[in-house]
Amino acid sequence: MTKQLRMLAPEAFREHLTRRAFITGGTAAAGFAVLLTACGGSDDAASDGGDSAGEASGDYSRVINKSSGSLAMYTWGDYNDPDIVGALAESELGVSMKVDYYPSNEDLITKLAASNGNSGFDIVVPTGPYVPQMIEKGLIQKLDMSKIPNFGNIDASYVSQTWDPNNEYSVCKNWGSTGYFYNKTKITRKMETWQDFIDACMNEGSGECAMIDTAPNLCGMWYWANGYNWNDQDAAKLDACEKFLVDEFAQHIKAFDSYPSTKLAEGAYSLAMGWNGDLRQAYVRIADAGGNPDEWVWVLGAPATELWMDTYCIAAGAPNPDAAHAWINWELIPEISIKDLQYHGYNTGMKEIDSLIAELAPDLERGEMIFFTSEQVATFQTQEITPTLDRMIDIMNKVKAKAGA
Amino acid sequence: MTASVAPPPRRFRFRAPRFALALPSIVWYTAFFVVPIILVVVYSFGTKDTSRLVPVDFANPSASSYAEVFDETFFQVFRSTVRIAITATLLCLLIGLPVAYFAAFKVGERWRAVVLAAVVVPSFTSFLIRTVAWRIPLAPNGTLSKWLQDVGLIGEDGIQILETAAAVQLAIVYNYLGFMILPLYVAFDRIDVRLREASKDLGAGRLATFFGVTLPLAGPGIAAGVLLTFIPMCGDYVTATVLGGAKGNMIGAMIASQFNAAQNWPLGSAMAVLMIAAVLLTLIVGTAIVWLAPKAAALFEPVTRSVRRARASRPRKVGTQPSTKSATADGVMQRALGVWTGLVLVFLFIPVALVFLHSFNRGNSFTIWSSAVSTKWWGELFDGAVFVQTALSFAAIVVLAVLARRILKRRTLFGGNYGAWIVPSGLVLGLVVNGLMTSWYANLFDFPGIGDAIRNSFLAALGATFIAVLLGGTAGVALARRPGTWSTAFMVVVFLILVTPEIMEAIALATWFPRLQDLPILGHVFTEGWGPFNGGMNKLWVGQSMYASAVVTLIVRARLAGLDESLEQAAGDLGAPPGRAFRQITLPLIASAMIAGGLLSFALCLDNAVVSTLISEAGSTTFPVALLGATRSTIKPFWGVGAVSLFFVTMASLWFLVVVLRRGGASAGNIAATLTGN
Repeated sequence: MTKQLRMLAPEAFREHLTRRAFITGGTAAAGFAVLLTACGGSDDAASDGGDSAGEASGDYSRVINKSSGSLAMYTWGDYNDPDIVGALAESELGVSMKVDYYPSNEDLITKLAASNGNSGFDIVVPTGPYVPQMIEKGLIQKLDMSKIPNFGNIDASYVSQTWDPNNEYSVCKNWGSTGYFYNKTKITRKMETWQDFIDACMNEGSGECAMIDTAPNLCGMWYWANGYNWNDQDAAKLDACEKFLVDEFAQHIKAFDSYPSTKLAEGAYSLAMGWNGDLRQAYVRIADAGGNPDEWVWVLGAPATELWMDTYCIAAGAPNPDAAHAWINWELIPEISIKDLQYHGYNTGMKEIDSLIAELAPDLERGEMIFFTSEQVATFQTQEITPTLDRMIDIMNKVKAKAGA
Repeated sequence: MTASVAPPPRRFRFRAPRFALALPSIVWYTAFFVVPIILVVVYSFGTKDTSRLVPVDFANPSASSYAEVFDETFFQVFRSTVRIAITATLLCLLIGLPVAYFAAFKVGERWRAVVLAAVVVPSFTSFLIRTVAWRIPLAPNGTLSKWLQDVGLIGEDGIQILETAAAVQLAIVYNYLGFMILPLYVAFDRIDVRLREASKDLGAGRLATFFGVTLPLAGPGIAAGVLLTFIPMCGDYVTATVLGGAKGNMIGAMIASQFNAAQNWPLGSAMAVLMIAAVLLTLIVGTAIVWLAPKAAALFEPVTRSVRRARASRPRKVGTQPSTKSATADGVMQRALGVWTGLVLVFLFIPVALVFLHSFNRGNSFTIWSSAVSTKWWGELFDGAVFVQTALSFAAIVVLAVLARRILKRRTLFGGNYGAWIVPSGLVLGLVVNGLMTSWYANLFDFPGIGDAIRNSFLAALGATFIAVLLGGTAGVALARRPGTWSTAFMVVVFLILVTPEIMEAIALATWFPRLQDLPILGHVFTEGWGPFNGGMNKLWVGQSMYASAVVTLIVRARLAGLDESLEQAAGDLGAPPGRAFRQITLPLIASAMIAGGLLSFALCLDNAVVSTLISEAGSTTFPVALLGATRSTIKPFWGVGAVSLFFVTMASLWFLVVVLRRGGASAGNIAATLTGN
């Protein structure tokens, strides 16, 4: 499962970072939003995508099915390079994109279910485990794989997931993991595990910590810290989890915030739980705000943590399914995929992604927050939708009410 | 009810029922408020079942959700919400009262218009972005915080207000202050100055006049202000979400999270029902206190009377000229009021100024100033070449129009009236020509979505305002002129519309529209629609018109209640048929109230986020909907650019309205009075 994962050796990377930081006068900031230089030729690339200078070598399919009309995507905040959704989609794909954002899978489901197939959205981006529920409610439609010839560009590890074994409804958009971020001038102890995070939140970080605003992540933190699998359905463990989070932990929480990067830079938190891509952006924002990124440390959750995967699906009743297929297919072209990766900082699951990065984005910073070692990946757990989810949501509600008291 | 009334012998005269004029409103509210809301109330007796499309199971109906609401934790949030709302309402009253008083009594017409405009103008920048903008000065790492640390006023941690109830309190006072000042001003302005003068002539001091004459006479305005602020505050969802963190949670956000994140519609619905009950209860208690206070004061009447008599018997210089001491006191008072008003206006403009500034931020996040000015995000949003071309051609047409008016004025070929129309029509022509050249401004925007969002916001707000003015105008007239048993029931519905939390109405409508989609004509309206008036847009018109029309109804009713019906009766006696009497007498009487109500509802609709988020479709996303979706993650500075653009478009259309109103030679003061419903 893990052999294809590129291990960008962290030491080598830091060296690279420091050198670059030295050259550019200490501003590590600009890298992310700036357009991918290696892909510069793609603006006017011919529709076969075959002749642009920045193209990576290797065995990839690069079919572009030209489409037309407008394409409406309902997705998570700030989740695609604006350039790709904007000018590139217009020029290369021939579609004009409309993008709207939702804050959680449940919000997505509420919106689609309430409009009963009339939402007008073509593409939606649910997290993998929510796909079966959406299939069952008839909110998404089957994909026509003949229209997605670039599907083979995805690494075998990221196809045929448990929630959609034959990829009949969903295609991997990108995946990531969960960890935390803290200011080492305020939290001076050594922080390595979820237990450390919980301890810090309850002591020197009390009232200055932010939690991801989803129930499974909040409860998962307790499960992982205690060495349990977060899909464990044992009622006693759920009770213990509730007791601890509500009675002992809730009072220390400052905010429930799934995207803490901006607020970390504002100085609102000294430690925060978050997803790797967003916390990677936090370094940029902190530098933007005139802070010192070196004071901040990213820790991947341990001893275990999450592997989540967001997927492209086509909504039931999509007005333009043709363009929707064309879009999903186009996003699987390595150059587009890596350009998106540079923007949001999540692994897009391309096969042999290490050599792609080396060729297309050699100066990508903080790669250790995007690509994980095989040892790390071995500790990842994928969420399953079980009856415990309802209970976890109840726990979350109680924690929120308690935290506000 | 009326068919049985015997027709007059000579001429057949159809006597419409007393509620005839309110009929459009009755139909509208029944179809899009009463029935859908009843459905949601029914949900509160079901149980949660996420496997269904509508996640409610009715297999064993019970009131268990209500029992769950009475959980201790829920009640804590509930109490803190009511506390925040009451505190904020009182603060708004205390802060706003001197401003309204100053504008009404202490300044000339010109300055009055300036003050009122300054109160109104900030509300034309998106409500959401202004709330987000409060994060800028309050950030612990922000410029203000650092400066305060350097000066030594605060500790090393910086300002610690964000993510607390204090931040929510501050922003809520800010967000609703305008809704308090305007009704107060209107009430003060209505007061006959002679009453105040009489009070002073009879020897009452400044304070006695204020508390004995001015304040009681302004009672209805204070009541209106309290209603317009307290009710929406209780259901406020955005402010707490953006600024409150875990500690500043409010009930509106909690109800919304039950409907969305937790998928527990029965619980959310039960919470909403209880919240409505609590708001009504609070208002009843508040009214009782206001009603009882004078009675209680009357108990002390003998005491106060003797005190007054003692004071009055003191030797006092009597004369027409005020004493020099009193004159200086007057001057000090006036200056203090002026300074206070100035400070309040500065307060109102702080976030607006920050939105403007941060749209030129070079960094990647709206709230974080990167200490470098750049037009990068403007470039990101607008296609430079098309923008310049559009601006130039627009300017050229307007300049031509202005020149044409100059020339025509000199020649006096036409009457002044026609001349006054040239610039406005030049503007319209400019818009149309530009629209044709840039395929209705779609090419103006480089970034997908925001241009559409601005256009959709405008289209939705215009349509909803039109509906609101139509419904509110007719219903208001019917309520004021043809009250009866029906009017009580109708007012209850209007009041419920004002009190219902937005998220509940949103869920009600969002689940109601799919049920309509198989109906013959209505189904088509809410699915396909026609051209730009697609299904999503039509749904937005319905959704946004609810609250807005209730507000217009109240304003029109209040306006007519102050005027007796003798004019209409006279017209009737002189033989004018009811239609003509309405057109020529009633309509001019309520025109100003309708314009004021229209402006207010336009501002409300333009900012509508919660209802719109659930009922909008892919093609009809408005600016607040798009922004609300983005607030959970990083807000890029181009949202500031979008808000500034929307602000200018709104200001331009307002200016256009003022120009049109001015064609009859109305003064700035008159226009301001018209705009505030006076």
